[in-house]
Amino acid sequence: MLDWKKIVREKLGSLPLETSRQDEIVEELAQQLEAAYQEELAHGVGEVEAVRRSLRQFQDWESLRRDVFESVGGARLPVWQLNTILSPRRLPVWIALAVSLAFLALPSFRKALQILPLTNHRDAWSSSAFSEGALKQIEKSQDKQKYARTLAYVALHSPDSQQAAAAAEKAVALDPQLTWICAKLSHANYLVPGYDPTPWINRLKAWDPGNAYVYLLEAGAAVHSDWEAHWAKFSPVEDGELRRALVADPRWRIPMEKAFSAQRMDMYTDRQFLLDREVLLERGLDRPEKLLIASANMQLPDFTLVQMYVDHLALDVAESEEKAGHLVNALAIYQDIVSFGYKLQSRPTSVERMFSTRILDETFQKMAPLLRREGRNAEANAVESALAAARAEDPRSSIPAVPAQQSPAQRSGQMVMISGFFLLLCAAAAAVWLICVALLRTKPNLSRSMNWMASCLGWAPLLLPLSCLGLFLSFFPYSRSIAGYSSAGELIQTYDSLLAGVYILHLDPFLDIWIDHMFWPLIWCSAIMLLGAAYLSWMARQQCGQQSGLEGKS
Amino acid sequence: MGTALDRELKKGNTELLILALLEEQSRHGYELGKLISARSEGILRFHVSSLYPLLYRLERRGLLKGEWKPVGGRRRRYYRLTPAGRKTLLEKRLRWRDFSGAMNRIVEVRCA
Repeated sequence: MLDWKKIVREKLGSLPLETSRQDEIVEELAQQLEAAYQEELAHGVGEVEAVRRSLRQFQDWESLRRDVFESVGGARLPVWQLNTILSPRRLPVWIALAVSLAFLALPSFRKALQILPLTNHRDAWSSSAFSEGALKQIEKSQDKQKYARTLAYVALHSPDSQQAAAAAEKAVALDPQLTWICAKLSHANYLVPGYDPTPWINRLKAWDPGNAYVYLLEAGAAVHSDWEAHWAKFSPVEDGELRRALVADPRWRIPMEKAFSAQRMDMYTDRQFLLDREVLLERGLDRPEKLLIASANMQLPDFTLVQMYVDHLALDVAESEEKAGHLVNALAIYQDIVSFGYKLQSRPTSVERMFSTRILDETFQKMAPLLRREGRNAEANAVESALAAARAEDPRSSIPAVPAQQSPAQRSGQMVMISGFFLLLCAAAAAVWLICVALLRTKPNLSRSMNWMASCLGWAPLLLPLSCLGLFLSFFPYSRSIAGYSSAGELIQTYDSLLAGVYILHLDPFLDIWIDHMFWPLIWCSAIMLLGAAYLSWMARQQCGQQSGLEGKS
Repeated sequence: MGTALDRELKKGNTELLILALLEEQSRHGYELGKLISARSEGILRFHVSSLYPLLYRLERRGLLKGEWKPVGGRRRRYYRLTPAGRKTLLEKRLRWRDFSGAMNRIVEVRCA
């Protein structure tokens, strides 16, 4: 004789109900099975087949268990009573959480997390790595070079101009080879009232007198400190008015002359790249995106002013010589412009190359006919070849009119962004699930809504390792240490497209709008929603009470 | 009765089916399942795993009352309608009549 109650009890498992009610349910379901079994036997079905057919009535016992509890108890089965794969009583969820945490042990995974739009501040600065305390510790370590390097990094990238200036003073005092960092302070602080870049420029001129860049900075500083307020006086329409006024000022003209006659042009980008890379590694910030941003934080000269000086040479001086019939003198001036253009063209960034190509293009076009007029056809041909080569070098010529298909790096970046988004979503849901589950473990009847939330969010711990894996795999090909990059160009080539993919959504304006304008409305709406939900719940309970009362009277 | 629409129709009217079958007399779960199949001539089949949760839900809402009764030396749980259940049945039946009448007037109009 089959014990149907035992079978039901085993398959259904325990229900968090009163024992008597649970026994009643088990007995009733057992009677259902037994009745079906007897009916099958009466139809001549064999005993084993009859049992099988009878049990087939309830295929999913766990689902039945949940439904029965929900129907009897009027609430979801407590999360700690679930027997599904999502249950906190079973290992899979905890294994999934452990695997997710284990991903944090992988440096590539941590790097991928750090470049995500919501976690990354997108600057080269780190207030903790370069705090006063951290700098004092390095100072105490007696490693003078390391301290000087770190101070130089602070001078180059600190958002606080006073801190930057103080750090630069100390760094140069410790290691005079770092005097090039004065370029940063000679250039970027025009907007600070009373700031005088002259001492920094003079120091730089004394240290590196053959560098055109230093004189471009000097010319720029002269114009921006004294002239900027008066620019409005010069009509932008009347051609050359401002240019001629500037040429009349020796504080601008003389440094520009020196810049154009200097032997070399070094904007210290290579030095800065090596310093940034070394300091970031020393401070434990093996972060390619920080190095990329640090490398981009260089001090470009004011190309508008350079263009004015080129115009002065070409339009005011060379053309006058041409008109006067002194073609050799005119050609010599054009040659000076070309030499300067080539010095600029050797720089790695597209801004400088675009500017130099423009200078070369304009100047070669003027030189070629002059050389032919002089009968120097071989030189004219050479100039025309150089013109074609300069145009081929133009970074703008490599930009297609119609955007090309996305590069693999950009697609990887998008994958990083999507996986990262899901990871943050799953992590937030898993954290809420964990809190609810922990609270319900200590007090099972704490809150129905908390139990409902824990039941609904049970998927989060299982999806978390998958999103971690997605993020890890999409970033892994780019997870090389910054120690492996020897130049800013190499880093840009590898990471530019990847980061363009990662930051494609530009979340900052969205977040700013939400934080600035929508925060309090959101809080108020949530409060009203909660009050409404509470009122509806109270109404529903009142109705239930009235129905019970009606039945009681009957 | 296998399509999604059929399932929706059935889902919306299962309570009515149960309440209607208990109008005349009290019945146990097995009997209710059998009656639905028999009276609909096999067109409507009620899955047992949905039947019992539904009975418990109706009982919790006060529309049914479950009682154990001795039958052949054993006890069996019978369900009967409560006054609230009768009232609900009346409302649901009226609504069903309106609905099915309206449907018939549209669907059967060509046959008239």
